[in-house]
Amino acid sequence: MVENIVFGIGITALAGALAAVAGAAEDTESDIGSQGDPNSQVQLAPQMGFIHRIFNKAVAGEPPAYGLWCALGAGLAWIFLIKDINPILALILGATIATFVQGVYATSGYLGRTASLAKFGQPVYIDILKSMLSVTMAHAFVAIFTTVAMCYLMNAVLGHPFPLPILGLIWGIALGAAGSATGNPFYGKERQYQNQKFGAGVPISASGNIVRYAEAGQRNSLDNGWFSAKLGGPASGICFGLIVFLELWRTILFEHIAAGWGAIIVGLAVILVFVVIDRWVEVYARKNYGPYTVAEEASS
Amino acid sequence: MTAQITVTEGGIPHNTLMIYGLISSLVGIYLTYLNTVTGTQLFSFFGGLGAVAALIWGSSTIKRLCSYGIGTGVPSAGMLAFGSGVIAMLLATKFGIASPIVALVLGLVIGAILGYIANNILAMKIPVMIQSIAELAAVGALVMIGFTAMTTGSFTFSPLSVIPVTVLGATVNSFGTSLIGGGLLAAIFMLGSIALQHGFNACLGPSEKQDRTLMLTAEVGFLSMLMVAIFSFAFIGVGAMIVSVLISAIGWYYTYAQYITLSKRDAAAWLDSKPIVEAEGH
Amino acid sequence: MSALGAAKPAAGGAIDPVSSVVGLVLAVIFIGIVFVLAPAALFPLLGIILGGVLIGFGVHFVPVGGAPAAMGQAPGIATGVAMLAAGAGLAGLFGGAWAAELGVVVATVTGAIGGGLMMAVTCLMVNVIYVFGMGIPAASGKVTKDPLTGDTQAEYKSQGTEGHGLPFISFVGGVVGGLFGGGGGTLIYLMLLQVYEQYLPVIFNAKVEEIMPVAVSLAGIFAIGLFLVNAVLAAYNITGTIEGPHDPKFKRFPRAIVASLVASALCGLVAILIVVVNLNI
Repeated sequence: MVENIVFGIGITALAGALAAVAGAAEDTESDIGSQGDPNSQVQLAPQMGFIHRIFNKAVAGEPPAYGLWCALGAGLAWIFLIKDINPILALILGATIATFVQGVYATSGYLGRTASLAKFGQPVYIDILKSMLSVTMAHAFVAIFTTVAMCYLMNAVLGHPFPLPILGLIWGIALGAAGSATGNPFYGKERQYQNQKFGAGVPISASGNIVRYAEAGQRNSLDNGWFSAKLGGPASGICFGLIVFLELWRTILFEHIAAGWGAIIVGLAVILVFVVIDRWVEVYARKNYGPYTVAEEASS
Repeated sequence: MTAQITVTEGGIPHNTLMIYGLISSLVGIYLTYLNTVTGTQLFSFFGGLGAVAALIWGSSTIKRLCSYGIGTGVPSAGMLAFGSGVIAMLLATKFGIASPIVALVLGLVIGAILGYIANNILAMKIPVMIQSIAELAAVGALVMIGFTAMTTGSFTFSPLSVIPVTVLGATVNSFGTSLIGGGLLAAIFMLGSIALQHGFNACLGPSEKQDRTLMLTAEVGFLSMLMVAIFSFAFIGVGAMIVSVLISAIGWYYTYAQYITLSKRDAAAWLDSKPIVEAEGH
Repeated sequence: MSALGAAKPAAGGAIDPVSSVVGLVLAVIFIGIVFVLAPAALFPLLGIILGGVLIGFGVHFVPVGGAPAAMGQAPGIATGVAMLAAGAGLAGLFGGAWAAELGVVVATVTGAIGGGLMMAVTCLMVNVIYVFGMGIPAASGKVTKDPLTGDTQAEYKSQGTEGHGLPFISFVGGVVGGLFGGGGGTLIYLMLLQVYEQYLPVIFNAKVEEIMPVAVSLAGIFAIGLFLVNAVLAAYNITGTIEGPHDPKFKRFPRAIVASLVASALCGLVAILIVVVNLNI
């Protein structure tokens, strides 16, 4: 029994670590490809007269897109497992083929959106595809493989009743939701609008005026990935890693206490802890940054 | 402030596309029945072709619906279509040889009711809402049943849930390794729903052209079909699987090459390693 | 956002009486069909409807700002509302399905907590990124004072924006939305599982343990499908973005409840019919 629990905790920690890697890779991938809500600005810029060399990958939002990549990777891995292929090999094969699909979707998204912007004079820069595609695919592979491996652990080792493809779908959507929620503002505001004031939202009047030139030369999406990999990516990793780890941890350790109510009480306690931390963060910002409009010296 | 969804006019009328898509989809799915007639599994790929036809129809429907601005993203329409489509499709598999037609009708009925809910109870007041959601749910059901037929060579409930396995000379029923029991439906669900919305979502913009959008839908449709062909590895013979893979790969390559040609035609310029071309006045 | 902007939904939360009554009549008919064909599945269907209503109601709590939130132009989480709710609800479903053998109440609450936990972590990280990554405090654009903490909002709103980040009320809304979504999704799953465990062994002439993979997968797929239908309908109701329970759009929730009720009754009916209809062809 104790051994079982120790084993379960080990798997929980491993799954949490895999999830953290997945979250970081997912956000970096979506920023290099420019996916999800921040991409609305990449889409808008040519209309406002700002021709740019940023990837414009329009493949749904991150949650449905990652729902597909992870469900597909898990489905393929499941097929290979049924056919008695070694699990590690099956997971890698599944993730590789799913990454191929991601790459095809990425190219067609860029070509489609850019060609439809012809009216505003935005050309298709084919070298963007050549140089950025491999990088997004590499990050996507990391994200898909870690997520599918995590789902495999949940199903095969921890004994979750859902089969692998359904777990892939569930955690793929959750991965996309966590990664886009955490990472999008950092890419959308902080990187695309680096020319705007720090510590303030982007005024609506500035919409579309994204930064198009780099320290030297012209900015492309690899520069954006380089930037967001420093904070947005790891933060997304922490977010998704915590979600997976805490969910498994409370179940493995406390589910057998008081016929299941143990895990519920622990979960509730964890939620309350997060509420307190959030309130502290909010008050910290209000105290230290101060209001924008009051003329007093509140902000110093 | 975000970019607006605009829709260009022209091209094949939606209703024509709908009729073509509907008929070719049903014919394609029914041709998998040749498997039963001839006693082989070689004709499974027709299910995938039927699904691609349904996707092209659905892509045109999404374009028509989203031109009204539904308040949230284009992908949500694909999710609604398949969320209701999978429910319709699974019930339809209980009707034996009539399954594809039942899937179509059930999809239309469920979709029409959901469309009525969205349009009237939620007061969205979009003229094409009821018809569009009905079409989308039907497309979802047809795509699911088509891809399912391609994976297993069959579109009825029992073969999808049970696989007879011979263990030590005796035949036992294996539920966990079947298409439904293994949850593979989840992967097919996502392959269909993302492919359905991708055509219009990826091509939207002021210079959108119908032929390019639909070519892209066909391309991702064939890509999904290729994945489904790999899925069939676990269910049908190797020979039949190779036929499926070859046909999907050829279809995918052709439509992808065509799509790139069309993108080249429509793009403002096709540049390789060139600097930003500043628009006039900036 | 539409190019043909004529089709904006009514701004208020007014319920259209005629269509609502039509919808409710339809729902009663669906329930009646189940009552006639499979009386044993009546309570599960009511559970499915309750689950669907919980999802539809819960989505209204989730603070989602959509594209403007990604630039700090509007408060909320920068992603799509339907999919964020799905992420939380399905994470809850994961936990709830795991606890299925512990009984309906425990499993549903476990699922709810799973959804709430997912949203608590996500909302916290959103604020952490805003505050420590970008130096932007949270501010609501829809209310002058946070109804929970009493913090004033207007002066923390940077120039030219509608607010940014997640004020405390939005954070709480997110957690509550996750709780409802996770609980509702799990309830749908458990009810369907119950029906399938009862009928599938008869259909396949097999033991309950043998058909469990099919029962679990079917219930799981239907729960996901029903979740997406309810979440997208609720997203249509709030036209894509909402700040949380303090947002004026929140008042539209009654009609979303009617919508979820009818949609869940319909989908639940079909999901139950799959094991009741047995034509042997």
